Amino acid sequence: MHERDIDRRTFVRSTGATAGALALAGCAGFGADDSDENGADDSTGDDELPTPAFPEVEDPPDAVYLPTHRESMRVLEPVEAGDYTLAPMLSYPHPFWLVTGSGGEDGVQRVDPEQSGGVHLMFVVWDEETNVVLPVDTGAEIAVSLDGERVGSPQSAWPMISQEMGFHFGDNVPLEEEGTYAIEVEIPPLSVRTTGDLEGRFTESATATFEFEYDREFMLEVTDGVEYLDEAEWGEPGALEPMAHGAHADDEHGDGDGDDGDHDHDGDGHGDEHDHGDHDHHAAIPYSALPPAEAYPGTHLEPVDDSNESSSRDDGGPEADDLPRSGDAAFVATLLESDSRLADGEDYYVLVSPRTPYNRVPLADMSLRAAVERDGETVTDDATLEQTIDGEYDLHYGTSLADVRSGDSVAIQIESPPQVARHQGYETAFLEMPPIELRVP
Amino acid sequence: MTLPDRSALSRRDYLRSLVAVGGASALAACTSEGDDVEIPSGTDDPDSLPERQHAWNDALTRDDDGNVRPPEHHVLVALSLVDDPTDEARERVEAALQELERAYEWSNEGLLFTLGYTPAYFDRFDGSLPDEVDLPEPRAVIGHVDAFDEFDALLHLASDHSQVVLEAEEGLFGEADEFNGQEIETDLMDVFERVDDHRRTGFVGPGLPAEHTDISGVPDSVPEDAPFFMGFRSGFAESQATEDRVTIEDGPFAGATTQHVESMTIQLRTWLEQDSHYQRVAKMFSPEHADEDLTGDIGEALGGSSGLTDERIEATESDARGGVVGHAQKAARAREDGDPLLLRRDFNTVDGDTPGLHFLSLQAGIEEFVRVREAMEGDDLDAPNANNGIRSYIFPNQRGNYLVPPRSLRALPAAAPDEA
Ligand code: HEM
Repeated sequence: MHERDIDRRTFVRSTGATAGALALAGCAGFGADDSDENGADDSTGDDELPTPAFPEVEDPPDAVYLPTHRESMRVLEPVEAGDYTLAPMLSYPHPFWLVTGSGGEDGVQRVDPEQSGGVHLMFVVWDEETNVVLPVDTGAEIAVSLDGERVGSPQSAWPMISQEMGFHFGDNVPLEEEGTYAIEVEIPPLSVRTTGDLEGRFTESATATFEFEYDREFMLEVTDGVEYLDEAEWGEPGALEPMAHGAHADDEHGDGDGDDGDHDHDGDGHGDEHDHGDHDHHAAIPYSALPPAEAYPGTHLEPVDDSNESSSRDDGGPEADDLPRSGDAAFVATLLESDSRLADGEDYYVLVSPRTPYNRVPLADMSLRAAVERDGETVTDDATLEQTIDGEYDLHYGTSLADVRSGDSVAIQIESPPQVARHQGYETAFLEMPPIELRVP
Repeated sequence: MTLPDRSALSRRDYLRSLVAVGGASALAACTSEGDDVEIPSGTDDPDSLPERQHAWNDALTRDDDGNVRPPEHHVLVALSLVDDPTDEARERVEAALQELERAYEWSNEGLLFTLGYTPAYFDRFDGSLPDEVDLPEPRAVIGHVDAFDEFDALLHLASDHSQVVLEAEEGLFGEADEFNGQEIETDLMDVFERVDDHRRTGFVGPGLPAEHTDISGVPDSVPEDAPFFMGFRSGFAESQATEDRVTIEDGPFAGATTQHVESMTIQLRTWLEQDSHYQRVAKMFSPEHADEDLTGDIGEALGGSSGLTDERIEATESDARGGVVGHAQKAARAREDGDPLLLRRDFNTVDGDTPGLHFLSLQAGIEEFVRVREAMEGDDLDAPNANNGIRSYIFPNQRGNYLVPPRSLRALPAAAPDEA
């Protein structure tokens, strides 16, 4: 696929190593420390900073797939800022993928960390009142300081999706030296349409500040916590289950729901009965899971036979397998009656909610249009579905339509796939997204 | 202030860092470096110079494609008045500026300069600025800004030779005895004080940005020949307003222009190390420029035009729906009858040891700047922030508005010159 241009500063990554032999690649940078905590590790020399290896997955499918490992991270205390609540998380710098435009080959760029020193900084932003994670590119800005001095230019945080973290903002942030760093995150007003309990909120920008200690201990902690999956599973269809966010990542990590660490890609643990909001024993950092399809009222639009990916899938996935798909994204599409608070006046409201197929992570920053046909005649040509965050239905794309009835066909055009950066396992999905043909039952 | 370490830098780099540091000792160091350069002297006949202070284009060279080549070194000297303006002070300012014009040729080889005044400066007069002058107090325009230029005046000095801008500045403030070998008789010292916190410096030209990779925010991947940090040529003739277009035509300030200075830092690490060339071209110019590979590495393939056809400008909204839209394409939406409204004279900076840009633009009125800036921001577009041109890579932190009067009124003009 895309050529990876790794420059000389890209840090060591072992390629094609087997899971058992995944050594921690060493990189210069930190003071001497002879501790052997990270196990048999010949390559981590005296003044070298431990960093995990990022093995390649050969020929990943054009779909959501199991990555090579579960990430490990340190979760900091949530911070409140104006209407927003924000949970910072820190991991080691690692590759991710940027998406720009159509999702063709040129628009997807693998980003490798430029240097070994630093962190992968992430934060989840949500509304405390509704527990809705705010999954759109608001233009959050990050400024880093060390001992009260600004380090470098501010930067914008990439909106990202990962299987374990769901929707979050993040970037690799190079740090030259150990120390206590302060991060200031400025979140501008939400520019997207808000409805329900979110209406009229997030109109002011807010600034959150948090601190963390960047040292060898931190790097060892997050590096040690990395868990590689069995190599046979790498690249298989499926997804890691959402991380159970605790006050401290280490004791939770990789344990998911407390089962045997099975990552549950066969769907039995991620159906309707599994409520992602219900990590009751942890500090409540919500995971950005959308409600399951049944939670949406109205008349659910049905796939037109044979026109969608869903009908050709038989791998027994989760509930999403009953849903129409495009580019491996599952779509809930429903027609709300005019009495819905989302509908204008006497109109109906078409609500389209694209999500990842296993973890129901919202797919933000797409452009969608709908066209309605009746008996081969166009009723509505080209309605823009506006990106909206609702206090109940969360992220969706919607529009009011005056004239829709049973038997009509509704085509959803995807003008742009989700313009969000991807962690491993999501970077080959939700890119080429053909239209979806639906019917009002 | 300490001087940069001569042994650690190339000669060009050293000269540039001296401009950034400023002061008499920097000048002394710079002069000894620049001994071999012959600077052409200016004119005894002030009337031979254009009435517009901003008439620089004819005094500059052009590249092979007909694009105006800006002077390489720039200093923006922030000034605050010592006392309210008097006729005596006016004469003094005029005399000092005429000395500069006598000493240095009005060109990139010599010295180009403008002296502009803020709304705060004009506030002290009883009369108000005439209707023809659109000069509001600076405001944030987009997002938020930490600081506004609230001092009185800004002297923009520009030359291909760093010792010229330094010598001119230091000579005007009593820290040099000669302008280009001519003894200095009048300086600005009793009239203006420098506001050191707001002194800004910079450089522009092929290869200059790549000489700053010693600064931590400047990655080694800055393209070798790029004139700007973000790696592309800018200022194509077709995308620039003419000097006529930005000139106030009527009223007592006929021949003036307005100037806006927006200072920003640039996040070069993510731009150059994370985005691909394809993504950079799409975000800087337009997705079609990227798909059709119209720019070449640094924009050299574009020649004298940024390649913004009417179709590409009109496609901005639908490109945004496709996920990504270009900076130039968006900004060009503000053209009127096909003509750009801004004459951009922006330059790179490493002030504060952070890569950045001082976006200096001239336009007939500040409202035009605001309109173009809003078009450039593209809040009306459906593209997500990260793919909405270059807005997620630049961090504006200071703004100022100025009137750059015609040469005949450049010395402490009254707000209503007719009545003065
Ligand atoms: C780091 C900051 C910036 C960079 C690197 C940059 C770069 C560029 C480039 C490469 C072009 C296309 C080439 C050309 O036509 O000259 C361009 C065009 C333009 N830029 Fe910027 N720019 C920056 C900031 C700004 C700002 C703050 C404004 C303020 C409004 C602005 C306004 C424009 C305009 C008006 C055009 C020409 C559009 C037309 O053709 O009509 N730029 N810029």
